[in-house]
Amino acid sequence: MDEEEERPVLTAVSSSARQLYLLLRCINFSDKVHVQITSSGLKFFVDEASVMEGSAFLDKSLFTTYTFHPPPLPVQEQNDSDSENELDPPDPNPVFQISLPSLLETLQILGLTDPNNNKPPWARDNPSSTAFSNNVLGMNNMCRISYTGFGAPLSIILTESTIRTTCDLTTYEPEFADEIPFDRQSLAFKTIMRGSWLSDAISELASTSPERLSLVAKMNKGKPFFALAASGDLGSASVAFNNNPTSSTRAPPPTHRGASPDADASTPANVLETFQLSDPDTPLRCTYKFALIQKAARAMSIATKVSVRTDIQGVLSLQFMIETEGAKVSFVDFRFVPLVEDDEGEGDTYLANDNEEDEDANGVDSATEDES
Amino acid sequence: MRFKASIQNISTFTKLTASLNSLGPLAWVKLSDDQVCFTIIPEQGTQVWAVLSIDTIFETYTVQSAANNVINLEVPLTSLNRALKSATNATSAQIRLTKKDNMPLLALTIVTASSSNSYSAFPTTSSGIDGGFGATPSEEFGANNRETIITQEIPVRVLAPDTVAGLHEPQCREPDVHIILPPLLQLKSVSDRFTKLALVGAKSGPGTVTSRTRLEMAANMHGCLKMAMKTDSMNISSVWTDLSNPELDPSQVAGGEIGISEHPSTRMKELGTADGRSEEGWATVRIDARDWGKVMSVGRLGGRVIACFCDEHALILYVYLPSDNGEDESVLTYYVSSYSA
Repeated sequence: MDEEEERPVLTAVSSSARQLYLLLRCINFSDKVHVQITSSGLKFFVDEASVMEGSAFLDKSLFTTYTFHPPPLPVQEQNDSDSENELDPPDPNPVFQISLPSLLETLQILGLTDPNNNKPPWARDNPSSTAFSNNVLGMNNMCRISYTGFGAPLSIILTESTIRTTCDLTTYEPEFADEIPFDRQSLAFKTIMRGSWLSDAISELASTSPERLSLVAKMNKGKPFFALAASGDLGSASVAFNNNPTSSTRAPPPTHRGASPDADASTPANVLETFQLSDPDTPLRCTYKFALIQKAARAMSIATKVSVRTDIQGVLSLQFMIETEGAKVSFVDFRFVPLVEDDEGEGDTYLANDNEEDEDANGVDSATEDES
Repeated sequence: MRFKASIQNISTFTKLTASLNSLGPLAWVKLSDDQVCFTIIPEQGTQVWAVLSIDTIFETYTVQSAANNVINLEVPLTSLNRALKSATNATSAQIRLTKKDNMPLLALTIVTASSSNSYSAFPTTSSGIDGGFGATPSEEFGANNRETIITQEIPVRVLAPDTVAGLHEPQCREPDVHIILPPLLQLKSVSDRFTKLALVGAKSGPGTVTSRTRLEMAANMHGCLKMAMKTDSMNISSVWTDLSNPELDPSQVAGGEIGISEHPSTRMKELGTADGRSEEGWATVRIDARDWGKVMSVGRLGGRVIACFCDEHALILYVYLPSDNGEDESVLTYYVSSYSA
């Protein structure tokens, strides 16, 4: 059936394989990745036991050339099989799976072969470098992704001076796992903060190798209060993010954008850029498996901003805004299914204790308590 | 039986022993009047037959024996390499064959100038802390010229001429393709990445972990070299173009000009293209990726490498060591055999 359609389904050329690598590395927690080709870009999504999913979207603006021809609908194939009715409105955007570690390794092949890369520019000996050499013309490090159609491999061709690497990644049938439902219309909580703060908090909490991570949000005397509390066999710890109270005595967190310590609460010096609780009177508390949240650590560490949202069912969505070369913005999304809370009592004590302790605390505050 | 030489090129000798050592623990070293041969024949894997001109590593070289002034030794490369490493900063180093308690050994005598001795940690002028001692040590002994002499002894085995008489270089038919390889370190970094990919593929595959990864190497007579690997999840290949295929020298080929016109490589020239996209004209061998990584370690010597491909049969690498006078080059010959699948 491929012969009928000569045009490949996808031809995309990027001048920076590294950019693609950095984004895809954020969701590197599974052997296989689903790829969906759409007219606006490539969507990569991975799924872990249906309780966590991560996706990265490579917008077509990341590529210098992006040509997508929706494949002809495989009429013949579908009529033969019994799935004809199910797929009634067939999705014109092809979906398949490929090996994620293989893809990541392949994208890294570029640049490896240049022994000059480790040297400073003045120490590089490149006798073949002329005005027309590839690296001067910016022809170096080209990455071309192509897909000819159903059943064909996803080809990645990397070109570097006189070396051309072709990698045909076997494509597998998609598994059609349902997305974790996340109801954007009925959010229970939403906040936006810097990615590095969330990253610092998670890596701090990871030191006690906890099992569970609770997310606590409430209005504390009219001020937004957001805390991450981790608990496990070794003890529990929490990191709290408070927006500047007006009676500030301590300096706000060290890494904000040059605002003075006494800036008032409405300036961007706020730890929490946005803070919305659907029900400000009731503290919100949702618990997730720590190990799963930690899989998003790579995205946290390189993200400029992160939007933390939970819907009324407790599903957590972390959306990371990642700035790549040329100030382009890409998004990487994660969704987590909450754990069912069975230890209400413990949670209540935590809240009660914190109410006292955090009275005068502001900024990022962490407290550790031993469970003996 | 006497052998004595001073080592003029310690770093080359060290790198040589290190890269030979990666292929096998023991070397057959044949010392004769005009050349030094190192031969590694491991149980499995790549054989190396290295022929070095004397002045590649030695000077003031004497060898005497009852058997035409040829001495055959079995040398443990790990010990030799370790001994040579301690000579890295030496001003001079000498090696000789000697005996201790009836055990033959190679004695490596290393002389280092002790400019880095303990005294230089103190100021050499007579002020400061050692002012109380009157004259400083450097004035008394000329400390900057002090020498340290280290002797390293490497136990060896002397091989009788009969023992080595049966060892011959592998015979191989005329190669289909000969090509000058890109820098080995570049080649190695790509093949290492391939090996890593194979591990990734093996991990995700169901159960069967392939411990031996096969690399498919191929070349044509139009300056292309291809390295390829297949796993369940992917096929990957890298193609180098614009390499050169050296011309054959009629005086070196059996049959002269006629020999060249009938040479397999002449036939291969008619097939294939220079962009490496054609399916034709490739001479292919399948080799073990780990073994290949070891062979590539010779890249640290920085020589020119010509690869000869016998299709489906063997890959022979000639590594020419850079020499000062340009004549009688030293050459290391690697015989890599091809696996059938």
